[in-house]
Amino acid sequence: MNEAEIIDKLQQGNETAFRVLVENYRNMVVNTCFGLLHNTEDAEDVAQDVFIEVFRSVDKFRADSKISTWLYRIAVNRSLNFIRDNKKRKWFQPFDDVVKSKKEKLNQLPSAHAENPESELENSQRAQMLHDAIDSLPENQRVAFTLNKYEDMAYKDISEVMNLSVSSVESLIHRAKKNLQKKLYLCYKKKCI
Amino acid sequence: MKCKTLHKKLIFFLEGDLPDKEQKEVREHLEHCADCAAFAQEMKKTLGILELEKSPEVTPFFYTRVKARLENQEEKAEERVGSPVWERVLQPVLFSLLLLAGIYGGFKIGEPAVPEYSPATYAKNELIPFLNDMQTEPLETFLMEQNNGN
Repeated sequence: MNEAEIIDKLQQGNETAFRVLVENYRNMVVNTCFGLLHNTEDAEDVAQDVFIEVFRSVDKFRADSKISTWLYRIAVNRSLNFIRDNKKRKWFQPFDDVVKSKKEKLNQLPSAHAENPESELENSQRAQMLHDAIDSLPENQRVAFTLNKYEDMAYKDISEVMNLSVSSVESLIHRAKKNLQKKLYLCYKKKCI
Repeated sequence: MKCKTLHKKLIFFLEGDLPDKEQKEVREHLEHCADCAAFAQEMKKTLGILELEKSPEVTPFFYTRVKARLENQEEKAEERVGSPVWERVLQPVLFSLLLLAGIYGGFKIGEPAVPEYSPATYAKNELIPFLNDMQTEPLETFLMEQNNGN
């Protein structure tokens, strides 16, 4: 089933077409969400909402753009909304929930039974540092950088997803890398790891 | 090339984004500067995490979960459609009325007791002493009357 057929059948409410769409694009959508959220469970949760939105609004889809571009756009918007909602929720979160989420994070760290616990621990600390650095980037830079790095997307494709010119995307990624470098250097000086 | 200049270019060097000439200059600097080489190594390892994270494992039941969530949301939407007037209008009105009644009751209960100063009250207070036998007939008069009788 090609893209046009999938869309055509989806617009008729065909369940098989929806299944094909989900199976074909789930890794791409989850990966994009993960790049922005850095948590597998949250990424899958948001990705599910992405496909539900697609199913509901397939009538609005314009045939002149690719399904992937549309999916990327929804995935990015949904992930950014999730981050914003989470920030708001943190203000009203009871202390117990904060402790619980910290515990969950600790549980995600490699256990002593892992094959090489030391290197696993170092990797997870390094990942945490990198995620913090990426999260501190301005939103546009973060999105452009994530699409480029996690999805290996070309600047042109990113420009279509973000509705920007190619040169703007190029500049965003350049600035994102510079900012990341600064933050990683500070961390290296402070001996974060 | 100075260390400070290298720090600004390192990420681009690691990504292979620099022109050949600058790429070579950075490489040469790293060969002679142990501190910058250590930082470059650290940075390489950290950026390498991006490659490791690229394809997170997606649960095999992903489609089933999407479908279940979709059906669940549709059911909820149907339930909402069933009683929109009660949920959206009557419930808030009822709760508002209860709240207002509560506030009014609270004010009433909390009001301090005001003494009555009406003319009827005055008259009542003034009459009571004359109805009291002890006040109308002093003890001396009573004893004198007793003595006279004897």
